[in-house]
Amino acid sequence: MSGIDVDLAVNGLITGLFYALMAVGLSLIFGILKIVNFAHGEFYMIGAYAYTLIALALGVPVWVALPLAFVAGALLGWITERTLMRPLYAGYTSWGLMRDEYAVIVTFGLSLFLINLVDKVIGPYAYRGPSLVETSRVMLGPVLISGHRLLAAGIAIAVIAITVALIKWSFWGQQIRAVSQNRLGASLAGIDTAKASAIVFMLSGGLAAFAGALLSPVINASPDVGVFPAIKSYIIVVLGGMGSVPGAIIASLALGVIESFGAVYLSYQYRDAFGLILLILFLLFRPQGLFGEKGREV
Amino acid sequence: MGIDQDGRAALEAGMTLLSVRGVSKRFGGLTAVDNVSFDVTAGELVGLIGPNGSGKTTLLNILSGLAKPDSGEILLDGTPCHDLAPERLAQRGVMRMFQLTRVFRRMNVVDNLLVAGRALGLGADEALSRADALIAELRLDVVRHLDAGQLSGGQMKLLEFGVCFMVPPRIALLDEPFAAVHPTMKEIMGGFIRSRHGKGQTFILVSHDMPVVVELCPRAVCMNAGRVIIDASTREVLNDPRVIEAYLGGQAA
Amino acid sequence: MAPSSPTSPLAKTAGAQLAASKTTVEFRAALAAMAVVALIPLGVSNAYWLGVLIVSMYFAILAGGWNLLAGYTGQFSLAPATFAMIGAYTTGLLNHYYGVPPLLGIVAAVVVSGLIGLLLGRAVMRLVGPYLALTTLSFAEIMRLVASNSIDITRGDLGLGVAGLLNSRIGWYYLFLGALVVLLILFYLLLRSKAGLFLQAIRDDEVAARRAGVNVVFWKTAAFAMSAAASGFAGALYAHFAELVTPELGLIGQTGLIVSMTVIGGMGTLAGPLVAAFLVYVLSEWLRDVGGYQLVVFAALVIIFARFFREGLWGLTRTAVQRWRRA
Repeated sequence: MSGIDVDLAVNGLITGLFYALMAVGLSLIFGILKIVNFAHGEFYMIGAYAYTLIALALGVPVWVALPLAFVAGALLGWITERTLMRPLYAGYTSWGLMRDEYAVIVTFGLSLFLINLVDKVIGPYAYRGPSLVETSRVMLGPVLISGHRLLAAGIAIAVIAITVALIKWSFWGQQIRAVSQNRLGASLAGIDTAKASAIVFMLSGGLAAFAGALLSPVINASPDVGVFPAIKSYIIVVLGGMGSVPGAIIASLALGVIESFGAVYLSYQYRDAFGLILLILFLLFRPQGLFGEKGREV
Repeated sequence: MGIDQDGRAALEAGMTLLSVRGVSKRFGGLTAVDNVSFDVTAGELVGLIGPNGSGKTTLLNILSGLAKPDSGEILLDGTPCHDLAPERLAQRGVMRMFQLTRVFRRMNVVDNLLVAGRALGLGADEALSRADALIAELRLDVVRHLDAGQLSGGQMKLLEFGVCFMVPPRIALLDEPFAAVHPTMKEIMGGFIRSRHGKGQTFILVSHDMPVVVELCPRAVCMNAGRVIIDASTREVLNDPRVIEAYLGGQAA
Repeated sequence: MAPSSPTSPLAKTAGAQLAASKTTVEFRAALAAMAVVALIPLGVSNAYWLGVLIVSMYFAILAGGWNLLAGYTGQFSLAPATFAMIGAYTTGLLNHYYGVPPLLGIVAAVVVSGLIGLLLGRAVMRLVGPYLALTTLSFAEIMRLVASNSIDITRGDLGLGVAGLLNSRIGWYYLFLGALVVLLILFYLLLRSKAGLFLQAIRDDEVAARRAGVNVVFWKTAAFAMSAAASGFAGALYAHFAELVTPELGLIGQTGLIVSMTVIGGMGTLAGPLVAAFLVYVLSEWLRDVGGYQLVVFAALVIIFARFFREGLWGLTRTAVQRWRRA
């Protein structure tokens, strides 16, 4: 394998790690509420802005700004779940049984709202987030990576690992998995399903925001910065299987690598289309993805 | 698709309307329906009983096209029909009522009925007059302008009844129509079934309500754990020790 | 916009006549609104504002088409703007490279969009809710990328120059209005026919619809095709109005506007989306000078309406009129 290929592979994997931060949260939301959050990209966006503005405008050190970005995303996630999603399961929206449709419209509207709000209140210009470290070039074997990217990748791995561990072994992690499998049964068993949903939304928002923050030095904060990452995460969640966290992680890494090689060997112009095409193919022929539950069909 | 004259004639001739032959269905490791066979003669009102989980609903799903059997076949008027889509079966005259009532919630009562009427080939005017007649027969006049979602549970069931009979089907599959229903509604539905049966309508009636089964069904098929354990006159079936054990055993479990 | 007539007179056989009268009331209200729009040029001659109203009509057609698919049939596609773009490029490319006259190009646009809509609808037949939304979203993005990147053919973001059709803005005004009214009438006739019954049944409960004998595959696909054809038509008209075709027509933001108009107006109502298209677009242009928070407000309205008022402005108006009549 040539040096270029190793470079492509490593970079693809690193990109995949950032995708995973986005996708894991989305997967959890789908698992527990059976809906897709169309405003997911805006949590990423809020994180990018929070990190950038807190660090730049308030002069806070990056190591404080980073967790604060997570908090911002988690807060937004909590508000979203509490005001818009909770009624879905308590049954008092005017949509009755059409939960999917309600979720699509409401989160789509939320996405538009947040993008335009930020555009108006903060402005349409892009803000470049501060790098974690100033080292610009590090040699990792044959591969040349920026210091920030390498550090960000390391942090991403740690955060993902912690998240997976929490889901698997913590009390709330088990609650969440129970609710994902059988909401009614879980609530009958005494689990606070509303709280579990809230936690999932907070976690999802926080992780996405974290990704936005980590990538802001490269993908600068702007109102619609979250649109592309969101589309990527939708793709990943379907490929990996809606509701499957390991599936989301594997699909993230795979997509990162596919795009990395595809951009060089197939088409740079259409590098974003590979994922979309895969998404359509999977949705048509294998909607449950690699590891997911069988999607609801008529 | 009227059955009055044909139905009468067929019953007198003992014509087999529906033939279930060796039908089986598995879900993973569970055999929900196990080599089930029975025939239904035109004009019969057959009761299908059995404890919870005995496979009755799965069988009904297969009969109405919502599930495909893994093996065996089903003949309607002598033609295989087990691989037809639900809407095609409906066109052929297989009408199924759901245990958990399904109506079109955001359409009003009349429109609910018209959907079936128009889909099954009636013209606009004829569909409308039949709908009016059914609404009167089912005592739904007062609520005819309401959206189906605004009806009470019993009214919704009556509405679903009406939907199934807009065009008299070759065979009507009723899945526990009397479950959790107000006595008055039960009266109306019972009367409805009786009168239609009198005109030659063929039914398979799934029910846990033994008094109703005894009252309406001359013949009963009892299932347990996916198999047919007895197929005989209702009196015989209800006195059969295997049936008693199936129910009591089921309760004990 | 208040309904123009009192509750429809009871027909000889109440039944479907009364049921249809809900649609008829909406139809009359929509016609009344169109009548108002028809009279506006008598008082307004400012070319800019006439242009704004023309674009509103473009959106009204798109919203109407999407409403048919999502509001009446329950299929939440995120690709309405994409079909407008496809229609625009169909007539645009034919005109630009082969000199095909606009009228023929528009017909071709309707056919091509309708066909692609048919194929897409058939492909996504079994998908529900979020799966359907995601697939159509991906389709939309891929189409836009293709249009944007095929610079040799489409000239990408620079835009494709196409011939105009009429010389006067007033002419365009009434052409668009005419098209909108014709489509309104077609929608009305469709909804009053058995097709209308079937589509709504599919929306409410697809399994129950199949049980009742409705050919769900056919009607879901048909809804997709009709919605796509209407969008393609609007896009083609717009192409010859603007005399330019760019991939911007297919941006997700455009779909966002269409969805907003339909939700705010009232999904599954005939008049709501049509009227809301005008309200939303005109207001957004008007407020653009004043401060520019209109998009934020509209998006917030989408959330609020989705959360509390599914029947949108139309539903609120109807409730208000009923209360007022009882008082």
